[in-house]
Amino acid sequence: MQARGRGTAPPPLGIALEGDLARRIDVALAVAMLNGFATKSEARSIAFSISRPSLKTAQIADVLAGFYAGRPLGGSAMIGMPEGEPAGDDTPFLNTLLAIKGADGTPQYTSNIRRPLDTADDCVLIRNVLLAQNDGNASIVLAGPATGMVRLLELYGSRPQISVKVKQLVVAAGSFPAGAAEPSIKSDVAAARKLFAEWPTPLVAVGSEVGTALPYPGSSIEKDFAWATAPHPVVDAYRAFKPMPYDAPAAALAAVLYAVHPGDDYFKLSEPGTISVLDDGRTQFTAGAEGKHRYLIVDPAQKDRVIKLYTDMVSAAPAPRGGRGRGAMPEAEE
Amino acid sequence: MGIITGKAIPRRTFLRGVGAAAIGLPFLDAMSPAFAFRAAPPVRLAFLYVPNGIDMKNWNIEQEGAFSAAFPRVMKPLEAFRDDMIQIGNLTHNSGRALLDGAGDHGRCSGSYLTGIQVKKTTVDIKASISCDQIIANKIGDQTRFASLELGMDDSRQAGDCDSGYSCAYTNNLAWRSETQPLPPILDPRALFERLFGTGVVLSPEEAARQARYRRSILDFVIGDTKKLQTSLGPTDKRKLDEYLSSIREVERQLEKAEKENQAVNPGMDKPYGVPPDFAEHFKLMTDMMLIAFQADMTRVVTFMMTREGTSRSYREIGIADGHHPCTHHQGKPDLMEKVTQINEYHTRQLAGFLERLKSTKEGDSNLLDNSMIVYGAGLSDGNRHLHEDLPTLLIGRGGNHFKPGRRVIFRKETPMCNFHLTLMDRMGVPTEHFGDASGPLEAASLT
Repeated sequence: MQARGRGTAPPPLGIALEGDLARRIDVALAVAMLNGFATKSEARSIAFSISRPSLKTAQIADVLAGFYAGRPLGGSAMIGMPEGEPAGDDTPFLNTLLAIKGADGTPQYTSNIRRPLDTADDCVLIRNVLLAQNDGNASIVLAGPATGMVRLLELYGSRPQISVKVKQLVVAAGSFPAGAAEPSIKSDVAAARKLFAEWPTPLVAVGSEVGTALPYPGSSIEKDFAWATAPHPVVDAYRAFKPMPYDAPAAALAAVLYAVHPGDDYFKLSEPGTISVLDDGRTQFTAGAEGKHRYLIVDPAQKDRVIKLYTDMVSAAPAPRGGRGRGAMPEAEE
Repeated sequence: MGIITGKAIPRRTFLRGVGAAAIGLPFLDAMSPAFAFRAAPPVRLAFLYVPNGIDMKNWNIEQEGAFSAAFPRVMKPLEAFRDDMIQIGNLTHNSGRALLDGAGDHGRCSGSYLTGIQVKKTTVDIKASISCDQIIANKIGDQTRFASLELGMDDSRQAGDCDSGYSCAYTNNLAWRSETQPLPPILDPRALFERLFGTGVVLSPEEAARQARYRRSILDFVIGDTKKLQTSLGPTDKRKLDEYLSSIREVERQLEKAEKENQAVNPGMDKPYGVPPDFAEHFKLMTDMMLIAFQADMTRVVTFMMTREGTSRSYREIGIADGHHPCTHHQGKPDLMEKVTQINEYHTRQLAGFLERLKSTKEGDSNLLDNSMIVYGAGLSDGNRHLHEDLPTLLIGRGGNHFKPGRRVIFRKETPMCNFHLTLMDRMGVPTEHFGDASGPLEAASLT
């Protein structure tokens, strides 16, 4: 497969994000951050999927994606969601957010996603958008269970396509070089094990220790979104997720930042090696020159720079949209 | 042959005559041994393809589940068959999208429709993939006289640029025997008739005209065999045979009429000799013969490109002088949108006639429609914006008491059309693990 886009300069790197939006506020922040990079033409958001079957989560994902796509509240985006019956997977934060009422007493955030049918199978969606990217001009950020990524791997014929299209997979899950079992890994140990064992491109892990050391400051939510004259779903999601004030662990933001700017020294990078997953969900890194895995290491000297970039990008206003628009189609490079 | 002998007439009996004339037979009671287990009629599959997308606002039935409300405009002519069809929503052909290949949605959408892959953008060294109908034909084609039939009504050019650098081979064919070998459709009803009943030789217009002056019905050539068979049939089978032979005679009459009209309208025309000038008449002839081919089990697999993808054909029959394709790029202009709706409606009216004939053709305890899977659809949904998702798709017939029609079934967004193809292949007795970009067959419970 060759790069076949028109023109001379390739478009900015495409990022497909899949995350456990119901349980991790850093996934909502990551959506916002991708918008920030898009405003600077440093990245394109090409797909957004949630990690578990949950209608309410899909609705919130739709609200977020719609907000940054410039659609009026209540629009409908192409949201990926794994196969399976949505059951018992709604977290209180989702209900809180969806229960917020506007001035007229109607729900402030509504979505046209009313049934699972209104979403796409996450692995098919990601496969489809990858095919619309130039070779090596896409990265995937996973901030949740590996279930969907493994299904993507298992789609017939997808491995060679992934190898060609995907520059790297950045996984915001686990603890490195070792630590307690992290929830995203623990929720599907088998999938995580398969992902680390079989993913065909370079893979960089961002452990929970990075998210804790470089949190998103709650103070930013209070002061950096003053530009928003209408309700802002990320601000309201942040407030709904936990009682304020709090700083949110933000491994997903580190993962997005690294995916977009891998060479800009925001972080240190481990030597190459192999990540394995123990039965209890703990991750283990074994160094080895042949390994395809690395993990991010916090560079204390860069902490302020990183946090400043987080807040600047996450609080950016929606990128202006041009063109004729093509409905809810996945974003291609043309 | 006696009326009840306990010895069945073979299913593949032909009425043979002088020359190469041979007429297959419909399913007769005498083909099952008396009092023995009656074999289920075969399942047939036909793809009827319409170009340039469909007016989706007047196509999609809003409510999921059993049809309850009135059909929207384009579906309206099919009201009589609401209990015979499933309207399927959200099937997508990602391979039809640009995927870095730029303009050419028409070339891609028809090229990928049954092949399930992104076709190579070229006008020279064409490359697609074997189509799902041909996978089926390869497996079961030896059970019928023709492994498959490829029909069309518009244009069978195989060379040249038909859409932004895409070969006409992509826009004008649905069936592909291999990745480089499309199967051009038969456009001329006379050629199809000869293929089904005659020598298979397509005559030049001059020769055909000369022969027509002396033409006798093909039924005359097989009269000896016909009489012999009739003596061995019971009254029901006799009636069935009479009806069947009459339908062949009717096709002959239509052909003769079309040929006379063509001569009168334009004796020097370059149009195939037997092609009626009127779209509806042409469609009826082609589908009448498709029906006979199904009825006599000459084939179980048909692809029918009603008009080529991207066609700019006008529809003066219904007062539309503008080309179909330009109309679909209406940019929201109400007059052009109305014309698109009318064209789409005109197509479904023709389809309704075909369905009526299938349904009224008895076969065992059921009818030909029940034992068929007629897939009607397009490779684009919104022709104005060239969308490749939510492709308009009807599955008509029960596929041999397998599907439960009478409802709208919506799958998840981005569900590959190839998943549907897997489902159809499976029902045709050709289970296939992988095809195109399929992620797996459609959820059986949704359709059965």
